[in-house]
Formats: sequence, structure tokens, C-alpha cells
Amino acid sequence: MSIPNESGRLPSANDPLGGVDLGRVWTGVAAEVWRRHPGLIERAAARLLRSPGLARALITTPSLLLPWLISTVVVFGVGALVNLGPGESLVWLIAPAVAAVGIAFAYGPGIDPAWELSSSCAVPDRMVLLTRAVAVFALNAALGLLASVASGAAAALTFGWLIPMTAVCALALAVAVATRSAGVGAAAGVAAWVITVLVGQTAGGQLTASVTNASGYLPYLVVAACCAAIVIYATRPQRGLQ
Amino acid sequence: MNVTLADIHRSFGKNSAVDGVDLQLGVGVFGLLGPNGAGKTSMLRMLATVLPPSAGEIRLLDRDPRRPAARREIRRRLGYLPQNLGYYPSFTVVEFIEYFALLKEMPSAAVPRAVAAAVERVDLGTKAKAKLRTLSGGMLRRVGIAQAIVNDPELLLLDEPTAGLDPEQRVQFRSLMRILGEGATVIVSTHLVEDVGAACSEVALMSAGKIVFRGTPDELTARGEGHGIGDAPLERGYSAVLSAARS
Repeated sequence: MSIPNESGRLPSANDPLGGVDLGRVWTGVAAEVWRRHPGLIERAAARLLRSPGLARALITTPSLLLPWLISTVVVFGVGALVNLGPGESLVWLIAPAVAAVGIAFAYGPGIDPAWELSSSCAVPDRMVLLTRAVAVFALNAALGLLASVASGAAAALTFGWLIPMTAVCALALAVAVATRSAGVGAAAGVAAWVITVLVGQTAGGQLTASVTNASGYLPYLVVAACCAAIVIYATRPQRGLQ
Repeated sequence: MNVTLADIHRSFGKNSAVDGVDLQLGVGVFGLLGPNGAGKTSMLRMLATVLPPSAGEIRLLDRDPRRPAARREIRRRLGYLPQNLGYYPSFTVVEFIEYFALLKEMPSAAVPRAVAAAVERVDLGTKAKAKLRTLSGGMLRRVGIAQAIVNDPELLLLDEPTAGLDPEQRVQFRSLMRILGEGATVIVSTHLVEDVGAACSEVALMSAGKIVFRGTPDELTARGEGHGIGDAPLERGYSAVLSAARS
């Protein structure tokens, strides 16, 4: 079999070894020997996220041990506070944001050793961060489900906090992938969570409570301020690069 | 022009790291020299789209990096080796390079061959499956170079690439730079003037955030004739220009 050389030129009789470019052949062999075969979950994630890079970030998140441990402590800590707290809507409303900030910190420039390199890559670092949030919550939810077999408190934490947060993060990531904007995805996740909490507040039977009850005004203002901040940030004049 | 900088400034609080730099660069190997704190790393981070300028205009590969879509296109064609290469100790050499190839949005089918070629180019074939935590500093530097070149970049930014390399590896690396510079813009920030003399077609010298010299290595050498301190002619040119800039 004749193999074209790097220039694509057909081999001639004067070429060494009949035109076989041994370097090129070796690279092909090495590529086959060294290639990593993605697992089922990674292949499925690559299709869903439309990005093999994000899928790889999703799969590797738990293996980055220190950020993973910090994120897990933050997630469980916030979850415990929410479940043990007074249960006021304000606490519930800001709890996901506190957990998200903790995850962002854990995988941010201060701790992630390869952050600078990642932020010079085409896949936006905020998309990677959203992906990591899904991975953190999903794995913690899985651990919570296992612990639920033995403990009622673990079941409360898992079903009342970890699984809903996994769903919220997954929704945010899905919207981010569809709109190609991590900011839009995060806003969608926040909005879904706010609606969920407010619906829960009105589930007592008074459907108009969410707009007639004065105790809801403060949470509304907080949510409105958050949304305004997101819009202002997403549409800010581009003085810098990022 | 692959790189166009117009009156670029970058400040950190009250400290000015880059202070009014204008630069136009095409294909070739360009050396960025200067003492510690001259602003070289800040310049490279701005060119890598990691750090926004405080003021001024940047165009990279005929695109405006302030626009998200253009920035993404630039980053697909960019290779970057930071001064401090952060890495994940549990990754193998191949896994690390592959991860960044995917984050650079290379087509999945092309990634294994590109990774293998990059590993071979930095002569790490025997360590391809080794965990990064087991490698020496020089080997890690070569891993960093491999991830930077894996996507065959049109703009390659290397911050102190030869730090930790032994003399033989440095000679090989200079040869690699010359080959890469035939088809891409390669910018090498270093304080090792011998790297510049051996591999760069053009050089700029930075001091206190400004470019105080731009020319060929021979022109820099000529500045040191009868002046400057240093063992090598290029070093004397370097010190002569720096002394003039500071006085």
C-alpha cells in the first residue's frame, strides 16, 4: 500500500522506502495506541451538550479533587442550612446562588490550577463552570441517594435540596447550550427556581398570595435586582475582552 | 497582520503594567525581551484574550476580540503557554493535551492524531501515558508546549517556554519555533537573550511597560558595541538599550 506523504504528493521511485513517510505512519500508530475511548456517559454528554470539550469537563470534574471537595462542602453546608433554617422564602431564594458562588470559587482562578489556560480556550469558561455545577450536584445527589437508605436526614437533604438543585443546574446548562450563552442559562435556572419557590408559597390555597402578600415584596425586589444585574452585566459595553 | 496593537494600556490598581504599546506583527518568530516586571506577561495575557486591556485597541487574526463570536474564533486558532503552567496532577500527558484540544474545539476525529503529533514534536512519546504528577519540571514545560501547538495555531504565544529545559532540549525547541514560525505568528516572551538570538527574526525589548527597542537580533547586538555589560554580544546590546531607557 502506498501512503501519500505530508504534502499529499504521490510517492515516486526516488523517494526513500517507496514514498512511505515513516514519521507520519508512526504518528498514526501512536494516535491509535494512545487514544482514549470516551465512555457511554461522555459520548451521550457530548451529543447533548454539542461539545466534546464540555462533556470532558463534565466527566473530569470529580477527579479534580480539591475543587471537588470544596464544592461538596459548600453544597452540603448550604443544603443543611436551608433544611434546618426557618424556611423563609428569602433563604430558599438565595440558597442556590450561594451554592453556585461556592462552586465557582472552587473551580475559579484561585484554586483551579489550569484556569488561565482554560480561559484562553474557545469553549467559554462560564459554560465549563455551569457544566461543573451540574457534575457537582449530580454526584452529590447520587451520594445522597445512597446515604438515604440509612438516614432519614440524608433523604430530606437529598430530595429537598440536592435533586432539585441538580435539576435547576441541568436546566440552566440546557438553556445555555441552546442559546449559546452561559448568562442566559444561569438566568433561566434562577427564574425556574424562583417560580418553584413562589409556587410553593402559594400552594397553601391562596393563589394570589404571591402578589397580594406584603411579605413577598422583599424577595421580589431581590429577584428583580438579581435579574437586572444579570441583564446589565450581559449587555454591558464591551470595554475589555471579557 | 496577525497582531495589531494600538496604544494598549493595562493597569492593576495604581500600577501600570503596560503603558501605551503599539505593535504590528505578521508571520514569523517574534521575541519579547525585558527584565522582570517589564510587562511581558501582561502583554501576552492580553494577546491570549485572558486579560482585557484597560485602554487601547487589539486586533488578532483580523478579528476584534471584544466581540464574543470573534473571540471564540481567535481562541480556536490560538496556542498559549502561560508563564506558570497549571496542570491537573491526575491527568496523563495525553489526557491533558487532549482535554485542551477539545476545549479549543478541534474536530473530535482529528484530536487523537493531533495529540500524538504534538507529543512527538516535544519528544515525550515515552511518557505519553505517564501521570503529570510523575514528570519533571522540564517535561511539564514540554507538555505545556505540546498543548499550545496541538491545534496547529496561527497565533502562538509562549511565556518563558525554555524555563526548565536542558540545553539539548532548548536547542530542539528553538528549531521547533523556527519551523512553526514559517506559517504562524509566534511570540516568545523570555529573559534568555540567547533564545532570541537563535530563533527570532525580530525582537522587541520592554521596560516599565513600554517597548523601548524593536528590530532584528543583529540590530540589538549592534546597540551594544562599545557599550553595555554581558558575556555575549546580544546581552551587551540588551543591557545597553535598557540602560539608555532607564536614564
